[in-house]
Amino acid sequence: MSFIRGNKMKKILSGYIPAAAGCLVLLATASMPAGAVPVFARKYGFSCTMCHSNYPRLNDFGTRYRRNGYRLPGRENDEKTILQSPPPVALRTSAGYNYYRAVNSAAPAVRQFQLNGLDLLSAGRISPDAGYMFVYTPVLTASRGVAAQDGVLEMASVVFNDLGSSWFNVRAGRFEPAYAALSPKRQLAVSPYEIYDFTFPGGLALSQTQSGVEVTGYGRNGTSYAAGWVNGSDTGNASQAAADVYARVEKVFGEGEGQTAGQRIGLMGYSGSAVPDVTLPAAASKTFRRAGIDASLNYRHLNLAMQYISGTDNKALWGKSSDVNFSGGLAEVSYLPATGLVCFARYDVVDTPRSVNMDISKWTLGGRYYPADNIALHPEYSYKKQKSSAGDITENFFTARLDYAF
Amino acid sequence: MKKILFSLLASAGLLLLITRGGWLLAGEGFLFNGSLPAVTVPVDNLQTDAKIKLGRQLYFDKRLSADNTVSCATCHVPETGWANHAATDTGIKGQVGGRNSGSIINAAYMKVQFWDGRAATLEEQAVGPIQNPIEMGETLENVVKKLNAIPGYKAQFQQIFGTDATADAIGKAIAAFERTVVSGPSAYDRYRQGDPEAMTPAAVRGMDIFNGKGHCTPCHSGPAFSDGGYHNLGVGFEKGKYKDEGRYAVTKSRKDMGAFKTPGLRNTAQTYPYLHDGSEKTLEAVIELYNRGGVPNPHLDPLMLPLNLTKTEKTDLVAFLNSLNGPVPEIKEPELPN
Repeated sequence: MSFIRGNKMKKILSGYIPAAAGCLVLLATASMPAGAVPVFARKYGFSCTMCHSNYPRLNDFGTRYRRNGYRLPGRENDEKTILQSPPPVALRTSAGYNYYRAVNSAAPAVRQFQLNGLDLLSAGRISPDAGYMFVYTPVLTASRGVAAQDGVLEMASVVFNDLGSSWFNVRAGRFEPAYAALSPKRQLAVSPYEIYDFTFPGGLALSQTQSGVEVTGYGRNGTSYAAGWVNGSDTGNASQAAADVYARVEKVFGEGEGQTAGQRIGLMGYSGSAVPDVTLPAAASKTFRRAGIDASLNYRHLNLAMQYISGTDNKALWGKSSDVNFSGGLAEVSYLPATGLVCFARYDVVDTPRSVNMDISKWTLGGRYYPADNIALHPEYSYKKQKSSAGDITENFFTARLDYAF
Repeated sequence: MKKILFSLLASAGLLLLITRGGWLLAGEGFLFNGSLPAVTVPVDNLQTDAKIKLGRQLYFDKRLSADNTVSCATCHVPETGWANHAATDTGIKGQVGGRNSGSIINAAYMKVQFWDGRAATLEEQAVGPIQNPIEMGETLENVVKKLNAIPGYKAQFQQIFGTDATADAIGKAIAAFERTVVSGPSAYDRYRQGDPEAMTPAAVRGMDIFNGKGHCTPCHSGPAFSDGGYHNLGVGFEKGKYKDEGRYAVTKSRKDMGAFKTPGLRNTAQTYPYLHDGSEKTLEAVIELYNRGGVPNPHLDPLMLPLNLTKTEKTDLVAFLNSLNGPVPEIKEPELPN
């Protein structure tokens, strides 16, 4: 073992540790989406697979349950509130071996067994008329064997359902907005959806939860809509007014919600504004827009999920001389060959203009095996290539971990 | 450091909160399918041996029908799971009804009776088929007259109820008998009570599917595996029309169109064919119907969704349903009074 002393040590500390911490934060936050909520399973005495095709991904039943404000569809009058059922709390974490190596990047390599974050969840019905969802990730300091995690209130929302009809439901607070057709919080892979995370410096990632209000409506013919008004860009400028709005419409053909049954297509639009720099006044806000189309197609035990998004950002948000137009998306195939087993493969791509030069392409392969409903053995490999002015950055990521919720 | 300590303490507190009590065990939620409790008996119709004996005689007596050819036991046959293996009932004069004769095993645990729930009690149900023109085609007035003309019956009614035979007493006696037709502990019950060998591995896997991916528990919940509610599976919906309006005929509420009462599942393996019209002959066929998400129709229950079950999962589910078979009292046709 060698020891490094003096200025050299300080230099390393100031240069590499923030980068390492940032990398570990990325790993941790990417690996611990909010996911499954065992409190619901406990409340009813159900198995996790009642709502999850392969947790954390929801199945059609789970999607319908969430949309219905955490009530069993058709059995709303039988529901029990959190005061009438077991304490509505649950935990989720994962631990295993992580390997990460980047070329042409300051991010340090990782070759360790690590604990990858912790979620504290609570959810249920506050009253016969309202449900809630609460997810908190406590602070975890990076250390050998523990990946860092920010203390974040991921979700704290209340949902009111069937206000007159199923066409009018309101969710308020901090929640996962409906514009992300493929839930970043309940995705199968650890590796994040690149197009949802791609944004201008300090800008809004579509994978994040939002604070605001969302109105949704669901018809019996598979048509649904969502519209929201949220704070939007996370530039940390408290004086900036909440000015971001979005809308989404979708249609499911056939029975189901498009998760494991039925064929779903959707359209989304997002319009927001952000200040290019947190030190600038709110009046300096500039606009950015997203438009997307998505599909989730099912055939027997095979699912093909696709998302395409086009973005237009004001030049000031990127510090460029002209507006930035980018586009990208993903295609993910998942297959359930047997009970308790799912395999997936995904391709992510982001295409950027020459002025930005941050094109991304990424392959992800993995699987999840469930020895029990709430425990998953998760091997995954991803290879990412991203352009940069200093040359292509390549990242190899492999994990083999145990993911569990209880 | 303070934040870390706070987080750790909060986590430990939550863990304690979660793990206190026994409800952490899966399957103990409010839709838990436990063992059958003791049968609840109405205070105005307490069980007595004499009443049960009378009810048993009435249950098997074809003289309760208009032409003395049909008894309760004609359709609810003890040897065939107290049901009938025909798709729908055949009543007097060879008339064929529109619904499958549900088993009376554990009918005592049902919140309501008949596929459309039109009878609130077993007493009310017991006299229903007598008056049904297709089934027994008799009037209660006539039945009362017939029974009072039989000394053996008249004496029993006098002894038990202190009156001659009445429609009310007939219903009570038959209901008292039906409350004895309950199933005993099944392999599932023994498994729940701690015998790991009671159920086969396939049945254990099937239990998990029943409670999860199969989406069965939301409706088939409680000790008798019925929520006592009404659900539209789309069965009988063809060319835009419902062959049978189901619960709607009782409530006239559009939401009940094509909906039928959730049957219990104990001993269901013995009570084929299935569904309100007896249209599915096997458990495998019923599971296939659910696997398709039912039959699309404007009032399809929102709980009905395609399940994507594998072949093995379907087999396991059948194994679990078979594990719900429990012993039922062997009851033979008694000697009837003259």
